[in-house]
Parts: sequence; C-alpha cells; structure tokens
Amino acid sequence: MEAAHIVFQLGFLQITSTVITTWGILLLLGVGSWLATRSLSVASPGLVQTALEGAVQSIEAAIEGVLPGRSALLLPFVGTLWIFVAVANLTGLVPELHAPTGDLSTTAALAFLVFLSVHWFGICSSSLKTYLHHYLTPSPVLLPFHLLGELSRTLALAVRLFGNIMSLEMAALLVLLVAGLLVPVPILMLHIIEALVQAYIFGTLALIYIAGGMQSQEASHASDTRSSNAPDKKGSST
Amino acid sequence: MGLDWTTFLLEIVNFLALLWILKRFLYQPVLATLAERRAGIARTLGEASDKEARATTLQSQFESRLADWEQEKAAARSAFDAEMAAERVRQLDLLSHDLAAERDRGAAVEAHARETLRRELAAQADKEARQFASALLTRLACPELEARLVDVFIEELAGLPDARLATLKAAHNGHGPAVVTSAYPLSDAQRERIASTIGARLELPGRVEFGLDASLLAGLRVSLGAWQLDCSLAGELGVFAEAPSFAN
Repeated sequence: MEAAHIVFQLGFLQITSTVITTWGILLLLGVGSWLATRSLSVASPGLVQTALEGAVQSIEAAIEGVLPGRSALLLPFVGTLWIFVAVANLTGLVPELHAPTGDLSTTAALAFLVFLSVHWFGICSSSLKTYLHHYLTPSPVLLPFHLLGELSRTLALAVRLFGNIMSLEMAALLVLLVAGLLVPVPILMLHIIEALVQAYIFGTLALIYIAGGMQSQEASHASDTRSSNAPDKKGSST
Repeated sequence: MGLDWTTFLLEIVNFLALLWILKRFLYQPVLATLAERRAGIARTLGEASDKEARATTLQSQFESRLADWEQEKAAARSAFDAEMAAERVRQLDLLSHDLAAERDRGAAVEAHARETLRRELAAQADKEARQFASALLTRLACPELEARLVDVFIEELAGLPDARLATLKAAHNGHGPAVVTSAYPLSDAQRERIASTIGARLELPGRVEFGLDASLLAGLRVSLGAWQLDCSLAGELGVFAEAPSFAN
C-alpha cells in the first residue's frame, strides 16, 4: 500500500494523487452526466436514461423511507455522497490508481461535510435556537455526551470507510505478492461488493445522522410545546 | 496514512464542486424529466378519470335510455297486444258472421236439396201412383164398370148446372150430331138413356151416334163439335196424369 504522494505543488497547495484522482472522478461524472442527460426523453427513455432514472428514484425512495417529504432537500447531498463514494471506492480496481477513499484525508473531508450537513439541515428545518436546544434535552447534564457522540460518530464515519477500503487494497496487494498474478481476482470481485456496500453504509449513515438532527430538534420542539401547554391546561382545568 | 490538511480542504472543495455538477447536470434534468412524466401520468390519469366519468355518465344515460326504451317497448307491446286482441275479436266476428252466412247458405242448400229430393220423391210417388192407378184401373176395366160409368155420366149430365149447359149449348150451336164413344158396346137401353138425357139436357134436335174405342178402357166420351164430355177411365187417367203433381 502506497501512500498518496504529492504530484505537484500549486503555490502553497500540495496536490496529491488523491486529489488528482478525485478531479478525474469529477470530470468523469460531470461529463458523463452531461452526456447522459442532454437528450432526455419523456415519452421513450433509452437504456441509460432508464438506469439514471432508476438510480435517482432509488435514492429518492431511500430518503423518503427515512425522512418522508424531505427527499427534494436531501437528494443532492446524500445522492452525491452515495455516487462519489461508490465511484471512488471502485477506482481502486483501475490499475495504477488508488481509491481516494483509501486516503484518510478524503474520508475525513467527507465525514466533516456530513458533520456540517447534520447541523446545517437541522438548523434549516427549524431555527438555530431550537436546534441547539435539543443538546440540552432531556437534561443539560447530557450535553457533553451529545458533543462527544457528534465527534465520535464523525470520526467513526471517516475511519470506517478509510479502514475498509485501505484494507481491501492492501489485502489484494498482499495476495498478489504472495500468490501470483490471477489469484487476487476473487479478492477484486470482493472489492466490488465491498466498495458498493461501504458506499451504501456511508451514505445511509449520513442520511440517518441528518435525519436524527432534523427529527431530534423537532422532538425537542414538540416536548417544549407540550411542557408549555401543560400549565395552561392545568390552569384551565382549575 | 496521515491526515493531509491540503488534501482535506481540496477534497471538501472537490465534493462541493461535484455536488454542484451532479445537481446541475444529473439531478435537476432527471428529476425534471420524472416530474414531467409524473405530470403526464397524472394528466393521463386525470383524462382517464374524466373519460371514466363521461363513460359513467354515458352508461347512466344509456341505462336510462334503455329503461325508457324498455318502457316504450312495453307500452308498444301493450298497444300491439290490445290491437291484436281487437283485431282478433274483429276477425272472430267476421269469421262468425261468415260462418253464420255459410251455415245459412249450407242450410239453404240443404233445404233446397231436401226440397228437391222431396219433390223428386213426390214426383216418383206420383208417377208410381199413376202407374199403379192406371194399371189397377186397366185391370178393373170391364162391362160392369162401363155400365156404372154410364150411370155416373147420366147423373153428372143431369146434375150439370144451367150455366155450364148454356156454355155447352152455345159451343155446339147445331154443329152435327153428338157422338158417343164407349169402350164396350152399349146396350140399347143404355143408348136410349144416353140419347134421351143428352137430348133433354142439351136440347139437341138431331140424332146421337155411337162408336167404340177400346182405348177408353171403360166409360164413354161424348163429342159435341169441338167440345167433349169425357166420362171414361182413360180420360180420368189422362186428367189424373196431367193434374199438378203433389210434389208441387
């Protein structure tokens, strides 16, 4: 397993092979999307269009299953996570290329974006005060545990994906070194499955975290509403 | 394996750029296409619903019209049945009338046939009666019957009314002698009685001639010019034969 090396330096920025591969993925997905969607047909969709519509509808259905009515809001971010992680994981199968997700910097960046998106969507669904208030429920004593949980799950998100992809490439490399040329082929087949599974897990966990942030503040708001209405009810009963 | 902050920051930028690219070139077009298709499907479903509603309306109208047709058919059938019943009654009346007329005609024909048969039977009976009487009188003809008929002649002539006698006298008016023809020869006494009676009643001045004619069977016939006084079986049988039949 070879670490990401610096390809060139752009001012103070050191461009690594991971970034170059990611740019390649961006170019591939961007051009592919533009080519695939430039002539969409409502009446008679082709094979590629049908596959694209099936993929988008599957993502939409998954989001609707977790957060009904929020698919339009979350589809770009969660869908991009699924697509990018899946393509990035599969990039490791291409000779002379390494999966960007085998670099902790990439997975940490993705986890950091998930961390930010959880709070962003949570705040957008209500307000900053309401969102921050849910860290104090059910008791302010649990605030440190809430914060620790936020950090630990973000760290786990980054390390899980990095560890799985890095270990897959390393296992294939070790088998290649020990057994010969064609022996790693089954390992590579396993790489495909593992790449797709890890992409699904990463995107699903991100979706669940975002849904938790949006629903937790809603639950907090609901409990506050109930507690504020209780004296009124009591007063009216007396 | 360490964390490179430059890569970390660039990957964040890269992901955000990819997010924009996919949103611009993948999600928006595909979602727009899906929304357009869903709108088309909804529009098609709406049109289908409208068509279903129209079909339901048409079905209800058709059923209503069908019910109206059924009522009209029932009314037409009732009218037709009534008309048929009236026509049947009329035809039965006509048939009864025709049957009565035919029956009357048949009765008339039968009555006519019966009358014809009756007349034929009566004519046959007359014929047979005449034949029987003729045969019987022919067999009964004899001189005694002759004498009796002479007596009858004399009695009839003596009892003849004056008006008839005047008619006979006017008809004879002196045309020759009276000729008495008998079936059997007459005795002198009978001739004398006949001649005297004729002379006395008809006031004939001349003599009376006598003759024989077996075809008279019995009795006699007196010829007075164009007139004849017949008192013979043949004459009576001739009168009897020429008399109107009982069948008439």
